[in-house]
Amino acid sequence: MTRKRIFYQAFSASLPVLMGYTAMGMAAGILLAGKIERPDIVFWAFLSSLTSISGALQFAIVNWIDNNMPLIDVALLTLFLNIRYAMYGLSLLEKFKNTGFWRKSYLIWSLTDETFALEAESAIPDKKLNTFYCLCVAALDHLYWVSGVTIGAMAGRFLPFSTEGIDFAMTALFLVVLTDQCREKRNRLPAAIGIICAIAGRVFFSVDNMLIPAMVMMTATFIIFRKTLEKQFEPAEVVK
Amino acid sequence: MSGQTITIISVIAVTATITVLLRAFPFLLFSSGRKCPPVITYIGKVLSPAAIAMLVVYCLCSEYRGRSLADGGWGLPELIASVTVIALHWWKKNPLLSIITGTAVYMLLVQCIFS
Repeated sequence: MTRKRIFYQAFSASLPVLMGYTAMGMAAGILLAGKIERPDIVFWAFLSSLTSISGALQFAIVNWIDNNMPLIDVALLTLFLNIRYAMYGLSLLEKFKNTGFWRKSYLIWSLTDETFALEAESAIPDKKLNTFYCLCVAALDHLYWVSGVTIGAMAGRFLPFSTEGIDFAMTALFLVVLTDQCREKRNRLPAAIGIICAIAGRVFFSVDNMLIPAMVMMTATFIIFRKTLEKQFEPAEVVK
Repeated sequence: MSGQTITIISVIAVTATITVLLRAFPFLLFSSGRKCPPVITYIGKVLSPAAIAMLVVYCLCSEYRGRSLADGGWGLPELIASVTVIALHWWKKNPLLSIITGTAVYMLLVQCIFS
């Protein structure tokens, strides 16, 4: 198989991601530019989508910037929000072995939910060509995401109607992710614990200070009740 | 440089660094054949849904606070829009449709009805 054919194969596999990323990226870009009104916001939208390549995060940073959130909170929230990325690498260790420093670095940097799904099921017998396929998928997905966010930020600067309430897009995104996760029964109890800890955090602290205590409470709960909760994960399921 | 520019740059730098480090974490620690401790795998699995659930509550709280200075509407716009998103998404499984419809419903409610 030639590299050209592999590129086309990667491109057709990435088409659903093209739809999803450009549309979702545009929504995030519109939100960013609608909430933070300054002429250079398009550049910042470009830069943050290029460096982080993370959907939920792209929505979340809008509020973090707008509220001037302390950086330690930003760091901890990013950690909690994206901790799943650390799990993806575990199942790709073998596949990315001996691919060379730069290729491997890019494959790691560009690892999103969707890119992971495509790379995990890639099965070209020749190892070098398979790496090339993964690189193509990663770069294409990366390109879709950056284009979506940047175009969205451009559009968001010129919306002809009031954008009051547009920040609900972020709440809606999290609700969508949560709904999807709760289709799987084993995620329901952890999600409920998350809700209870967040409400407890809100009861004892102000909205701005509720997240850190909530995160501490849920981590403690998970460690204390590990035996009970872990039973749900048996028999071992593949994380996807 | 204005204060907000510094905020934007530092938020982008911190979020990108943490995200990339998370992605690299298994490659940095376990590529030489060392096994990942089961407690880390477990925490990673349960924390994902819990963190998203927490953020839903946080978003709703800050949404409600942002408007309650004018007219809270007893949180009704938040409730109606959230139920719309969940119901639509459970049924249609189309993330973009759910997000756009929910946001449009919310914008309509806070701009026209509970304003």
